[in-house]
Amino acid sequence: MSNKILHGRASTPFSPAHRFSNSPTLFWMFIILSLAGCRSDTKDSRQELLYWSANNPYEQSVAREIVAAWNAQHPDVPVHHQPIPEGQSSEEVILASIAGRTTPDIYSNAWPGDVEFYVRAQALLALDQFAGCDSLMNSRSAAEVVAQARSRDGKLYQVPWKTNPIMMMYNVKLFRQAGLARAPATYSEYLAAAAKLSNGSSSWVGISDIRMLWWQRFFDFYPLYLAASGGKGLVDGDSVLFENASAIAVMNFLQTIYREGYFPKQKMTTTADFFLLGKAASRFTGPWEITHADKFKPEGFEYDFAPMPAPDDHKGPVYTYGDLKNIVIFSTCQRPHAAWEFVKFMVSRSNDLRLLEIASQLPMRKGMLHDSLFVDYFAQNPRMVAFARQAEYVRGIDQSPVMKEIFDAISQEYEAAVVYGAKSPEHAVRDAAARVRLIME
Amino acid sequence: MDRWILGSLDCWAPALQRSSTPTIQQSNNPAIHRAINPPIHKSNTLMRSRDHIGYLFVSPYLLHFAVFIGFPLVFTLILLFHRWDIVSPMVWVGLDNFAKLFRDNLFWQAMLNTGIFLLLHIPLQIAVALFLAIQLNERIKLRGFFRAAFFLPVVVSGVVVAILWDQLYAKDTGVLNALLAQIGVAKIGWLTEPHFAMPAIALMATWKNVGLYIVLFLVGLQSVPAQMYEAAEIEGANAGQKFWKVTLPMLNPTIFMVVILSTIGGFSLFIEPYIMTGGGPMNRTLSAMLYIYKQGFFFYHMGYAATLGFAFAMIVLLVVVLQRRLVERE
Repeated sequence: MSNKILHGRASTPFSPAHRFSNSPTLFWMFIILSLAGCRSDTKDSRQELLYWSANNPYEQSVAREIVAAWNAQHPDVPVHHQPIPEGQSSEEVILASIAGRTTPDIYSNAWPGDVEFYVRAQALLALDQFAGCDSLMNSRSAAEVVAQARSRDGKLYQVPWKTNPIMMMYNVKLFRQAGLARAPATYSEYLAAAAKLSNGSSSWVGISDIRMLWWQRFFDFYPLYLAASGGKGLVDGDSVLFENASAIAVMNFLQTIYREGYFPKQKMTTTADFFLLGKAASRFTGPWEITHADKFKPEGFEYDFAPMPAPDDHKGPVYTYGDLKNIVIFSTCQRPHAAWEFVKFMVSRSNDLRLLEIASQLPMRKGMLHDSLFVDYFAQNPRMVAFARQAEYVRGIDQSPVMKEIFDAISQEYEAAVVYGAKSPEHAVRDAAARVRLIME
Repeated sequence: MDRWILGSLDCWAPALQRSSTPTIQQSNNPAIHRAINPPIHKSNTLMRSRDHIGYLFVSPYLLHFAVFIGFPLVFTLILLFHRWDIVSPMVWVGLDNFAKLFRDNLFWQAMLNTGIFLLLHIPLQIAVALFLAIQLNERIKLRGFFRAAFFLPVVVSGVVVAILWDQLYAKDTGVLNALLAQIGVAKIGWLTEPHFAMPAIALMATWKNVGLYIVLFLVGLQSVPAQMYEAAEIEGANAGQKFWKVTLPMLNPTIFMVVILSTIGGFSLFIEPYIMTGGGPMNRTLSAMLYIYKQGFFFYHMGYAATLGFAFAMIVLLVVVLQRRLVERE
């Protein structure tokens, strides 16, 4: 706003009126300077790399230890660790930081389903521009995992870091009561156990949150679909892959479960843990449940983990959803080569072991069960052996910028067909596929 | 009196001059004449400066308006014709967002759900609030306590109330089903069965807001002249007739106000389905606001969310205008 408007033309330079009418100018200067002063001291001025980790205490401990070791060895390239700022979700925080160009240099908890979205926004650095990227990736992770991490433009923007495979956690005693010496491996075995549990002890065979939340399908439909299809993805580029017999079989299996009342139509927001209370015999979950169960399980409660149930005629390994979290370098990074060196350091064998030991999370590293460095850990933590075996057969999320919408579309049909039986599995899969094609147009 | 203030009378001058009644400007009283027409000489500059000082006083609000209302409004209008995911550049799409809106069954389902919520919530709100207001208008024991108790949910955070009722409604662990079990009623999936979810939310919203409408009805009841009841009694009216023939007609303006306030509040239904159901089951509690939020902040379809918001605002405007016309006719 011009001074002419604010204090008029006719005031004399030294009149009281002039002095007083200068206030607006001073006021606006104050506001502008105050706002300018709000800009925080950014990483650029410190010449250090900024690294964001997940903000749970275990991963913060891992990150602190890795950063301390790095800084001791590389005083010329200091790294500053900071847990990702609080937000409704880490994805939302990252999005806000991309929009505000306040991204860190390195982030270690990127959900692969968002990576393609960040790539489209040109927010990430392609890592295969760095010498030794391909050899590092292929020596550490299985070729299949590296191939899944590759973006639609053929470049690599993420280092597969860790995985939390979704498996069937089960109550050993309840399944024993149902006449099973081992965990049910096929749909028929699972349904037979369900019928016995339902009649004998009024227990449910399992429990899953029925809410129509897109990410809830990571704990029911999606791992079961991967198990049934031998690890086939949902989409490939602009093609729908899930309109097939495997998806229909999964919908059919789950529909039977809800129709017969083997799973409760229950939200998981209530405080009771039906699994630990012995009311539900199984649930589909990840290794993070071990700490919780060991802490809260009642006296004499026995549990174990097994692969997801698969169709009766299934052959070959049973795949599942890996819930991968990967490392990315943002394009705002001023020292990309130094950042890459730090990423290489992060995924070294010794740091992978520390990730296991401190956070009980599996590094996306092949052959750990036979690696001399890891042998002692698995001997002391036998429950993690099942997850390490399963980690050989996990799949992440397909590379598409609209993955959330794809899962939302599947979720809508899942709810209608599986939970409420409002349509047939065939109809639900066909409608979901049609909707996904529209989304990807 | 300062001319700065009296100056505002200038705009009325032509009307006042047209009036047959002598105005204060036409007054022959020299004191009044001087007061409203002070001599203008050297202080002219000072006054102009003072006028400009007014900008300083209104500048905080102008700044607030520009940043939080003006800019978002203009930006929303721009977004109507673009596709934008916050982090990538905007892409001009012309009227594509509007075309998509007319094909989007989920938006119309959300509008229908909002309409169903209003149809359930408003009559329930009026009936419960009126009933309780009549009871609380009587000389009963602990009247002050009950008035405060019924108003308490109004000042409690909507999120807290939603979480609380979510627990009460839980199928296997909720208090409501436990109470019903005492009288032999089978467990009901209050928030997981498609037919029960929206009525359950409407019931909760009524509990949350009824205190406010009780206050409005109490004000209305206390403004009904006692003589009208006395006259009705002399005519031999019983309690029911007094309610239908005296109380209810006299409360008409309050009822209309409650309808309008409940309608506006009902259209903004968001927290309850967001916390309690996520819009399910089978999209039966997906409100228009929740759908717009999901499009904008789950899927980052900012252009389409702006279009939905614009369409929704037009629908709300239409409903409120119709209600207002109805009120004016009454």
